[in-house]
Parts: sequence; structure tokens; C-alpha cells
Amino acid sequence: MRLAAILFRLAWRNLWRNHRRTFIMLSAIAVGVWAMIFMTSLTRGMVDQMINDSINVLPGHVQVHHPDFLDDPSINNPLPYSDAALGEKFAGGEFGQWASRVRVPAVISSERESRAVTLLGIDPSAEQGFSFFDYADVEGRFLEDANDNGIVIGKKLAATLDTETGKRIVIMSQDPENEIADRGFRVVGLYTADPVSVEEAYAYVGKSTAQSLLRIGDASTEAVFFGDDYRNVEALYDAVSGALDDSVSVQRWYEIDSYLGTMLKTMDGFVFVWIIVIFLALSFGLVNTLVMAVFERVREIGLMLALGMKPASIVGQIIIESMLLLTLGLTIGNFLAWATILPLQGGIDISIVAEGMEMMGASSVLYPKFHVGDMVLASTIVLVLGFLASISPAWRASRYEPVEAITKV
Amino acid sequence: MKKLHTLVMLLLTVPLSAASSDIDAQKIVRDAIDHWRGVSSYSELTMVIHRPDWERSMTMSAWTKGQDHSLVRVLEPKKDRGNATLTDTNSMWSYSPKINRVIKIPSSMMGQSWMGSDFSNKDVARADDIVDEYIHRILSTAEVDGHTIYEIESIPHEDAAVVWGREVLRIRDDHIVLEHSFYDQDNELVKRLTTLNITEMGGRMIATKQRMLRADSPDEWTELRVIMADYDVDLPDTLFTRSSLRNPRN
Repeated sequence: MRLAAILFRLAWRNLWRNHRRTFIMLSAIAVGVWAMIFMTSLTRGMVDQMINDSINVLPGHVQVHHPDFLDDPSINNPLPYSDAALGEKFAGGEFGQWASRVRVPAVISSERESRAVTLLGIDPSAEQGFSFFDYADVEGRFLEDANDNGIVIGKKLAATLDTETGKRIVIMSQDPENEIADRGFRVVGLYTADPVSVEEAYAYVGKSTAQSLLRIGDASTEAVFFGDDYRNVEALYDAVSGALDDSVSVQRWYEIDSYLGTMLKTMDGFVFVWIIVIFLALSFGLVNTLVMAVFERVREIGLMLALGMKPASIVGQIIIESMLLLTLGLTIGNFLAWATILPLQGGIDISIVAEGMEMMGASSVLYPKFHVGDMVLASTIVLVLGFLASISPAWRASRYEPVEAITKV
Repeated sequence: MKKLHTLVMLLLTVPLSAASSDIDAQKIVRDAIDHWRGVSSYSELTMVIHRPDWERSMTMSAWTKGQDHSLVRVLEPKKDRGNATLTDTNSMWSYSPKINRVIKIPSSMMGQSWMGSDFSNKDVARADDIVDEYIHRILSTAEVDGHTIYEIESIPHEDAAVVWGREVLRIRDDHIVLEHSFYDQDNELVKRLTTLNITEMGGRMIATKQRMLRADSPDEWTELRVIMADYDVDLPDTLFTRSSLRNPRN
């Protein structure tokens, strides 16, 4: 114990013998650690948001489709249950919030333009809070019930079509016999969404109206379920798939959008690799500093050995010195990262590059996401690898021959 | 008492007369469409597509039977010869000998241009939607050269698959459509079909030269010129099938 205290004191004093070098090294470590944590939090924030946006657009943490619907999202692949049958199956509370909808590709035309959209027939009362926009924020009004004769489209789409609320547009799709199914709708509301590309993609009509337009009785194409947390959907998935048979496919959101699912999965791996890469750059500086410190003190180390200090203590002394250096650097770096992320959590406006970001499906405000796990991971990795990196200089210092070391010029 | 009587009479007659004029207007439109098509018809016509920097013309033969069936085959120019379009009720198929395939025009393409002209596929396939999917009203009547000309305003039903705010037709009392204007929902003219020439052909007076003009680009138009027409000809039902579309037997 006494020995440890002596070694610690020696290491601490050695650290401040050349304080300029120590400060440089400290700032290198601090900046490195800051970069690890800050960049990770940015990426995490971006991915989180992409996932949230996409889940909202998808939407549904667990979804039920006809087995072929995802490959061929046409009206020929509806759910084999009527709305009434679905209501009976999912009456229990373990299914969370759920709704069935009609989702088909359609063409929307105004007097001057036509565009392809995804037509969503929904029952607004069952879907409160499901969507990526707040129904209350719709310019004009949102659909009132499943029989609503109006249509709600995105603001951008309205601009493209040169139409506005109160005007009529025509929706054209196909019925199960491949006959044209079309009718006029009056635009009753315009929604805004982030990212803007979504505004051009979806048009909302009442579910019953969509069903009669497409001549599909009371069938729908999908049933969607919302749990509490998108990261943990297994219980919901088990409950839903338990209630259904093989005639439909039940999927978790990350199976439907495998790009996002994979992204979420690789995120942790990515963080790990990122931290290691930064550390590799750092470690050269660290090893160099330690090697220099040892070289400077060859005679001193020789003297300590001659006075009877065990080589193991020399190793310990140098490793303690390196650990002290790293711990100090980590403390500063972590604090810096925390101090920069905290004020930015309200969002970083990156609208300058918004167009590019939208191509990726991210939106124009970036919300860094502070994750304690990342801090712990970064610190652990730095300490462990730092320990490994300092073994070699320490080992070399402990192997000096006392006589040679003392007389070394 | 007399006052009340007049009021009741007024209340009774106003909606009645309005209703009868609606029916009249609808009948005028219906008759015009029937007159143009006949029970069955065979015609040869030239379509001229004009653009500011080029112009091309196409000659084709067309067969129609009843409201639902029609077949159009391109004769000239040589490179387009054999291209054909078949319509049956609301569906439309197209055939091109170059690829030897019959393609059903999907609903997504119904709004697109037919053979590169200013007519849309929908104009061709569903011309008589104009009768049932609109509310018709006579705006005015005028006497020109011994003919009565009705100006009829047609407003699509709320759920009709029509993008126009309203359409205005000018129809002569011998069932010839002189002008067909399409207005958007801000009441701005978008395009107009005008009859430039009326001649007797196949035993009846028909519009032999019609031009479709887009209001915002007066240099772009499509003209239909009828070369010959025959009405009430005997056409077999097998003419209007997909197999006949692919293998012409006429």
C-alpha cells in the first residue's frame, strides 16, 4: 500500500516535470475524446431522427400485410380479413394502438399536372397521433371520419399541382379487376412535413371512401400497431403474430425498412470503429510521450533500480503516469463534449445542405443525441488501449541494467 | 289570396323549368355525342400535331360502334403504320407492330398524351363521360345563319373524375359541336377545341376540321381533319377485340 502511494506520487510528479509536454498531450487527448463523443452523438441524433421520421411515415412498429403486398403493393393483395374480423381479433389491450388502412399507388391530377402518389385511406378516429404530422396543424382541416369525401395532401404537392384547398383534384388507381378506379376529390387540407419529400408522397382520404373507390368492400391492405418504444417491439410482435395465421405476414418495422433496421444495428459497431480510429491516431502521441519520458530519465531509473526498487515497480510507475495522463485528458474531453452537446440539443440548423440531407431521408435540423453509453465506451476504450500502449515503454524502462543506466550520458 | 296564388305558382314553376332546361341541355350534349359517333362509323382522318419548331401529320382509320367500342389504326407515315388503339368501355389498349405487343394503358397513363398529340388518352377513351358526369345548363341561345346555337355550361359532379372547373360547349341545332372550352377551377381557359370546317360527309353534316389549342401556348395545337366518313356501317363485334387489334383483318 505504501509502495503504491510512493509510486503514485512519483508518477504524479514526473507528469508535471515537463508540464508543457503534458499539456500538449492532455489537449490532444481531450480533443480526441471530445471528437469521439461529439461526432458519435451527431450521428446518433441523425440516425435516430431518420428512424423516427421513417417509422412515422411507414408507419407502425408492427405491421400486417398480405404476404405479397410488400413486393407488389397493389390492391390485388389485400388483407384476407374484413374490417369487422380485424376488430374482433385485436380487441384486447395487448395490441396497443392499432388501425387498418388502405394503401395503394395512385395518380393525382390537377388541371395542369399529374403526379404519382401513395394513396392512404385511413380512419382518422383510429389513427390519432399515428402520423408524421399533427392533424391539428393541417392547413384547412384534416379528414373528419372514414366517410369523408375530401382529400388531404402535402403542401409541396399542392404547389406542384398548382392547386389549393377548396379545389378539386382527380385520383386515379386500379380496382382488383385492373379496371380504372377514379373519382374527384376536393382538397380540404394541406399538411406540412419534415422532410419535405414526404409532402409529395402521400395523399390521405377517408378509408370508406377509398374502399368504395377501389371497389374492395370492407377490405384493407394493412393493419398497423404501435407500441411504446420502437426499439422494443418483440412483445407486440409476438402478440400480433399469435393472433393471426400464415395467410398474412406480420413484420416488425425494421424488417419492412431493412435499410433503417441495418442502420440501427450497425450504429453501435460504427461508434466502436470510430472511437478506435481516433484512438489509433492518439496512441502514437501517447507512446511517443511515454518513450520520451523514459529516455529522459534513464539515469534516474538506473539509480532507483540500483537502490533496490523492483523492476515491477518501475513498470507500475510508468503505467500509473500514463493512466493519470489519460484520466485527466478523458475528464476534460468528456466535459468538453458534454458542454458542447448540451446547448446544441435544441437542434443544429443545417438547412444549407438540406437538399443533400433530404436525399438521405434526414431532415434539415440535426439534433445531437447525448448517450451516456458512448461516453463510457469511449473512456473504457481509451483507458484499456492506453494501458496496452504504455506497456512497451514501461517494460523497456524496467529492463535497464543499473550500472549501464547510471553511467549513460 | 291572389298574391299567395302567384307565389305558389312561382315556387312551383321555377324549379320545374330549371329542371326541364337541365334535361334539355343534357339532351343536346347527348345528341351531339351520338351524332358525332353514330350507331357505328368508319372514318379516315389526318391528325396534324403542330409545335413552334416542327409539325407532323398522321393519317389513320377509325371504327366506332355504340358508345363503348372504338378502334384506331395508323396508316401514314410509314414508320408508324400499324400502331393502333382499342377502347372498350373505359379501358384502353395500344398495339405497336414494332414490338408486337398489346399493352393495356394503365390508369396512371390515362392523363398522358395520345400519340403525342394535345389529346389525352382519356379524351379518346372516355369522350362520353361528358354526358353523365356533369350538370349541364344552357347559358344562352343565339341565331346564326339560320341555325340555333346553344351555349352550354357543364360543371362536373363533386366526385366526377374530372379536373376541370367547368366546360363550355357551343352546339349547333344540327348537333355539331362548334367549340368545346376547358376552364380550370379559377375559371381560366386551359384548352379549347374549335371546329374550323363543317361539311356533309357520309350522309350527314359533320365537323371535318377541328383544332385543339392550349390557351397558354398558342403555337401548339393539334388538328383533326376528316378525309372520309361513313355512318351506320355494319361492323362485326370481333373487330373490337384485342386479337383483332394485334392481327388486322380489315
